Amino acid sequence: MAERLANRLKERRGALGLTQAELAQRVGVTRKTVNTVENGVFTPSTTLAIKLSRALGLTVEELFWIEN
Amino acid sequence: MDDRNVAERAEHLSRRRARMLPVLAMLLLIQQGSFFTDHPGADRPVDQLKISAWLVLSAVILLALWTGGSWLQPKRVRELLNDEATQVHRTHAFRVAFLASMMGCIFLYFLTMFTRVETREAIHIILTIGLSAALISFGVSERRALRDHSGDG
Repeated sequence: MAERLANRLKERRGALGLTQAELAQRVGVTRKTVNTVENGVFTPSTTLAIKLSRALGLTVEELFWIEN
Repeated sequence: MDDRNVAERAEHLSRRRARMLPVLAMLLLIQQGSFFTDHPGADRPVDQLKISAWLVLSAVILLALWTGGSWLQPKRVRELLNDEATQVHRTHAFRVAFLASMMGCIFLYFLTMFTRVETREAIHIILTIGLSAALISFGVSERRALRDHSGDG
């Protein structure tokens, strides 16, 4: 079965009251990139995954996990 | 320019680029079409000019695809315009372009079995196929990513 990288980006971002644009600004990417990661369309690099986790105050494993 | 303005400018340019990519591919194809419909051997000055224009346009497109383009924008805007998702889209576009060019070569090889194809014509066809495929693929990926925006600001 195909594996995909799931995340709780939207949920965590919402809890912190951040918009996609604000989160994008914090990690130095465009809103488009944050959106595609959030929707599972784009798998981020390790660097971006770490930056997103730090910006949202979680560990990478708490923010991302592999789903079958 | 503060961070917010940089992000807004990059967003605006990113949308404009996504709209322009297929148009640029179409322009290249139309220019290519005129080469084949009006091709008297490239000995008149006007033909030389048309070929030069096509070559310059092709070289600029290739360079823009390779480097990320937007050379006149400030460095921070350029970096955002070429962020991680965009780089992935560009890499995918080059893969599509390579495949399309190779298929074009195979097609031309078979074509030469039945008709004579000039070297210049073959170069025109392969270069145009490769660049158009890259532009269309890049444009589609970018438009899809922008369209999927949930639009929560």
